[in-house]
Amino acid sequence: MAVQRSDAELARDARSGSEAAYRELVARYATPAVNFTCRLVHDRALAEDLAQEGFLRVYQRLHTYDPERKFSSWFFQVLRNVTIDYLRVNRLPTASLDALQEEGHHIAAVDRESASPEELAERGELASAIGAALSRVRPEYREVVVLRYQEGLTQPEIAEILGLPSGTVKTYLHRARKELAEILTGQGWGRVPAEPTAGKTV
Amino acid sequence: MNSDTIRDRNMERKQLDAWLKAEQSGEDDAADAALGHLFAEVPKVQPRSVFVEQAVVTAWRWRARHRWLIAGAWTAAAVLVVGAAATAVFASPLLGRSLVKAIAFLSGHTVPWLIAYGSVALHGWLTLGHVGAVIAAALITPGRVAAVVGVELLGIAAFYALHRIASAERLGDAQV
Repeated sequence: MAVQRSDAELARDARSGSEAAYRELVARYATPAVNFTCRLVHDRALAEDLAQEGFLRVYQRLHTYDPERKFSSWFFQVLRNVTIDYLRVNRLPTASLDALQEEGHHIAAVDRESASPEELAERGELASAIGAALSRVRPEYREVVVLRYQEGLTQPEIAEILGLPSGTVKTYLHRARKELAEILTGQGWGRVPAEPTAGKTV
Repeated sequence: MNSDTIRDRNMERKQLDAWLKAEQSGEDDAADAALGHLFAEVPKVQPRSVFVEQAVVTAWRWRARHRWLIAGAWTAAAVLVVGAAATAVFASPLLGRSLVKAIAFLSGHTVPWLIAYGSVALHGWLTLGHVGAVIAAALITPGRVAAVVGVELLGIAAFYALHRIASAERLGDAQV
């Protein structure tokens, strides 16, 4: 039985010139990378381009990677820098609430594309609603939410990626959850339907 | 709709309610865990199937270019070093002789001229100084100085008188 090699081992081998190791590393992080960038830029094609750029920069800087650090933290830090650099140069227009709602639907549509109809039927609309609500949350909160709840990173790891104090990340998560809850309850989610009173004895 | 689907939906609903309840009551850890469970159901945006291949090809192309660049830089550096060493070994006696000859030629032709021009200029200034001193000695006597001062005082007085007359005329015109 083949033992799965760690990210650090793959990074070391890729740096030594192993194409297979680099391929494995890309395969592991392709979905998280595209998902993360897409949540920030709201454009799937652009997200893929930025993720490609991110992977190239990761490869170019493999010699700076410290194997003592968690690879995912270092990877997301590089990827985020690529995305932020792009957003700085090509400022995305400020979106109105309606536009944001449309973007939300767009993201939901993207989410739907990646799942089979059976899966969607099983999930219902809640997952899509959460995905759409996420796109309406402030960008600095959104990246924290994606890293925490979709990539499963801890608060200190997120703090390291974003270059923020751990307390700030905790505050961002708290506020992001509040915003998400407000958006979803505003759309009618989480409201317990009233029990039918007929037949009840008083 | 089968029973598994209904059970999944009920589970989702329960998780949503648990999260919103924890959020309302301010239980941070519980809300964090509950939202984590809910997000497990949110599908991630997937890359296209060619994404991995494209990333690998891009990186390997860059690697090949980078290696060529480094090899080229090393070759250029080696050529420069070898060329400089060869020049030093084979051409330095010739170059050295030519350099010394050039310096000797230039200094032999330019230094006497510079000294000659410097002497002429110095003589010129000294002569001018002498002439000035002679003229000053001839002109400056007590009587001549007194005469010059007298003429200057007379001129100032005349200028003052003219100024007064002109002022009086302007005043008279104004009064009319």
